[in-house]
Amino acid sequence: MTRSFIRSPLMTFVFWLVLSFMTLFPVWWMFLVSVRQRVDLFGTPSFLLDVSRMTWGNYQAVLSNPTFQKYMINSLIVSTSNAVLVSVLGLLAAYAMSRYKLVGKDNIFFWVLTNRMAPPAVFLLPLFLMFTLWFRVGDWSLFDTRLGLVLLYCVFNLPFAFWLLQGIVDGIPRELDEAAYVDGASTFTVLTTIIFPLAKPGLAVTAILTWVFAWNEYLFASTLTSVDARTITTGLAEFVTVTGTNWGQLAAVAMLTLLPAALVLALVQRHIVAGLTFGAVKG
Amino acid sequence: MRNSTTGWLLIAPTLFILFITGLLPFLYVLVVSFFDWNTFAVNPDPHFSGVENFRRLVFDEAFLYSIWLTLKFTFFVVTSQLVIGFGLAKLLSRNVPFKGVFRTIHTLPLMVAPIAVGATWRLLTIPGLGPIPHFLQKWFDVSYILSRFPDQAFITVVLMDIWHWTPLVTLTLLAGLSNLPREPIEQARIDGAREWQIFWDIILPFMKPVLLTTVFIRLMDALRTVDEVWMLTGGGPGAETRFIGLHIWRVVFPKTDYGYGSAMSLLALYMTIVICWLLYVAMTGMKDNKQ
Amino acid sequence: MSEHRNGFLPINTNTFDRVFIAVVLFVALALLWMRFIEPFAPLWIATVISLVIGQWIVRKG
Repeated sequence: MTRSFIRSPLMTFVFWLVLSFMTLFPVWWMFLVSVRQRVDLFGTPSFLLDVSRMTWGNYQAVLSNPTFQKYMINSLIVSTSNAVLVSVLGLLAAYAMSRYKLVGKDNIFFWVLTNRMAPPAVFLLPLFLMFTLWFRVGDWSLFDTRLGLVLLYCVFNLPFAFWLLQGIVDGIPRELDEAAYVDGASTFTVLTTIIFPLAKPGLAVTAILTWVFAWNEYLFASTLTSVDARTITTGLAEFVTVTGTNWGQLAAVAMLTLLPAALVLALVQRHIVAGLTFGAVKG
Repeated sequence: MRNSTTGWLLIAPTLFILFITGLLPFLYVLVVSFFDWNTFAVNPDPHFSGVENFRRLVFDEAFLYSIWLTLKFTFFVVTSQLVIGFGLAKLLSRNVPFKGVFRTIHTLPLMVAPIAVGATWRLLTIPGLGPIPHFLQKWFDVSYILSRFPDQAFITVVLMDIWHWTPLVTLTLLAGLSNLPREPIEQARIDGAREWQIFWDIILPFMKPVLLTTVFIRLMDALRTVDEVWMLTGGGPGAETRFIGLHIWRVVFPKTDYGYGSAMSLLALYMTIVICWLLYVAMTGMKDNKQ
Repeated sequence: MSEHRNGFLPINTNTFDRVFIAVVLFVALALLWMRFIEPFAPLWIATVISLVIGQWIVRKG
């Protein structure tokens, strides 16, 4: 094979095709397991979907399971509240960073970002102790509450939202809010009538990405909840350790877990790489 | 410039929450690591014990082994992802039809929950159900059982991480390559430079910032890998894939030995910071290399 | 505070960097000491050595 042949557009296309196949294959296999009947699971693996023997039974079993419903609702509530919270707080902080002279701005910015980089396993123990010992009123403590998880997910989502939104607020012309201030508008009015509408697309991206990050989180959820506030990712892990061998249902839960990511992928694809590298690389 | 008090008020909630969830746990873990505090011990109250926890820690073979495994894993995944990612980026940097669709597909693993990645790979590797053991047996007569052979478990975990994170490397390097200046390369070609010389003297220096960031991000993520490994192998067989995060979470946490666990967490953090810092210095900071 | 100085260290550093390096070395030395040298010499020697080195790095590094 000559160099020019490898570099030809046709070969590039073929490479992309092979690569996409390799990327999708494990997910495709999981989908197959989730829609197959138990008897078809074992024996020689077949990579094709036999529509006539397909079943949605695993999904029905999972979705009608009350424990799992609770996990799913918890996940939805926690992710959504967290995404809204960090988007709002991130926007306020980004606006402050962009428009005000604050002492030690660069250091604050750097410190905020380091929070996202911290290894979560390191903070499990202190957070567990804080949640059970410090933040408690009588019988109630922050441990095993959805509120606790919402606050906790800020540790990685808030720096992200802050960073993403700062770029967006910086892009809004300063003259617009200056003019409004001259007309006697308050900071609140400027934020709601000028910054918010102009930052809307950016806010949408922020909310979607932070939502997915919160939805995907496992380690904190598994340690800082026990019964009431468990999320779908912990449910998935329990499926392996508790029920053992029900692979069809495991695959169905895993499919449901990765579904949101797959759904929003096309919407935010451009921002994912930039987001994961903190803008050092434009996607 | 507006009144900066308003600015501080706007940023205050963010700083407050991050103080509670980020800085406070760090300070707390720092303090507790110098205490003997085990709720199930004879004396369940915390009492100061100096560096006793750390003294125990440096002789804790299980802990040291998990650190060694983490370093091994990190080294393998980061280097292989860098090589594969760079190769793919070079091959894919051309414009082709449906590039947007391909890129979107390629981004998928980055967004999938790590725990779901683990589940996916588990379904590929279960004996009797998964295609990997089946075809390895059929074509190469290799018996592939993750729960029995440590090397297979380790390699599979590395492969899973490559599947999961190589797209990030590929996509960042693709972005870097597309910003490469055309003229110096063409000039060098005219001057008769070899391909590897062009690569070494022109492409690499231009790609340095992108490469550095990518390595950095990958390094930090690899050092804290927990979820997908837990799902795939459960840290086993034995403790052969029990990386440091997994070790803290599964072994130390249930024992309620809070002082000791804190010391271990702190040391894991220390290791992460030092490795990242050393890499940063090695790649950017030398005085001789500057200017 | 953040001025870049030309000290003996092979990298350009500001005060924060040098304090950081000193702390990192302090921890590393103490841990290694506990593992390998403590049967022969008490830990406070390591502390003194680290403090001296740390002082030197912060001042001259």
